Amino acid sequence: MLPTPYIKCDYDTVYEPSEDSFLLLDTLEEELPYLESRFKNRLSVVCELGPGSGIVTTFLMQNGIPSKNQSIYFAADISPWALDATLDAAKRNKCEKSYLEPIQSDLNRCIKSKEVDLLIFNPPYVPAEEVPAVPTTKEERDEWLDLALLGGTDGMVVTNKVLDQLDIILSPTGVAYILFCARNKPEQIVERMSRDGWSMELIMHRKAGWEVLSVYRFTR
Amino acid sequence: MKILTTNFLKCAVKACDKSNDNFPLRYSGSECELVQDPSIEFNEEFMTNIMDRIDWDAVLSVAGDLGNTNLPSTKPLLNTAEQLSEDDLAVLRDLHVLLVQTSIKEGTMTCRNCGHVYYIKNSIPNLLLPPHLA
Repeated sequence: MLPTPYIKCDYDTVYEPSEDSFLLLDTLEEELPYLESRFKNRLSVVCELGPGSGIVTTFLMQNGIPSKNQSIYFAADISPWALDATLDAAKRNKCEKSYLEPIQSDLNRCIKSKEVDLLIFNPPYVPAEEVPAVPTTKEERDEWLDLALLGGTDGMVVTNKVLDQLDIILSPTGVAYILFCARNKPEQIVERMSRDGWSMELIMHRKAGWEVLSVYRFTR
Repeated sequence: MKILTTNFLKCAVKACDKSNDNFPLRYSGSECELVQDPSIEFNEEFMTNIMDRIDWDAVLSVAGDLGNTNLPSTKPLLNTAEQLSEDDLAVLRDLHVLLVQTSIKEGTMTCRNCGHVYYIKNSIPNLLLPPHLA
C-alpha cells in the first residue's frame, strides 16, 4: 500500500480529508498500472481542481504518479486557504522537488485548452439550494468552506461545468477521475456522457455512512 | 510561479477564448520580481520532454517581456535519436535555469486581448475574475 500524506491544517477553512478523499487515493493506487502504461516515458501535465487540503496532489507527487520525475502538477483552487494548505501539505511530505504550481482560479478557466493529461476532481457534490457566492475577503472563513462542499441542484452545478468543458480541458490522450455521490445520479451522467462520445467507467465505489461514493474514469 | 507555467496560463475571461491574444499573457518586466532557485536539479529527460511540449513563441514572448532576448527565434531541435550532444545539453541547461529555476515572486500579467490585469503575489498567480467579469 502506498503511503498516505500527513496533513495538518485549519479545518475551519479547508475541507478535512474524509472518506471521499481516501476513496480517490485508493482509486489512484488501483489505477497505477493503467496510468503507468498510459503515461510511460513522457511528460504529464496533472491538474487537480479544488485540491483543498492538498492531500490528493501530495499523494500523487509523493508516489511519482503518473510519471516519476516527469510530471507537472497544477493545483487550481478558488480558495486562498486551499492554496496555502496545498503548499503546506507538499512541504510536510517532502515534495519540494516536485513541480507544483498552486493557482488561484475558478476551475480550469485560466488553463490553456487541451493541455491536461491527468485531471482529478473531488467536486463540491453536496446537493444544496444553490452554489454559494464567492467570498470577497479571505477572512470569511465559513463561506470559503461552504464553497468546497455545496454543489447546488443535485450537487451537480459545479461538476457539470467541468463535464461540459472536459473536451477543452483534456489533452488528446488525457484522462479524468471525478468523484460522485449517489445523489448526483451518476448513472444518468454515464448516459449523457456516452452520447457525447466519452467512455465513463466506474473504477471504485464505497459506502460512507449513509452516502454512497464513486469515482469514475473519463476517456475519449 | 515558475516561468514554465506561463506556457499553460491564459486569460480567464470567456469572451477572450475567441481571440488569439488571450495566450500568453503579457508580463510586466518592470513590476515583476524574479527569484532563482539553484537547488532545483537539472533533469535531462524532463527538459527533453518539455521541449516536445512547449509553445516556443510563447516562451519567446514571456522571456522578452522579462528582458531576456537571447533565445533562438525558432525552437531548438534536439537530436533525441542518439545521446544528446554537448550543444543540445547546453541549450537544455540554459532553459532549465530560465523555465524551472526562475520564478515570478511578485508581479502582474495582462491579457493582450481584453487588458485585464492579474496579480502574482507571494509566487501564487491569482486568475480569479471580479464578479462583473466572472
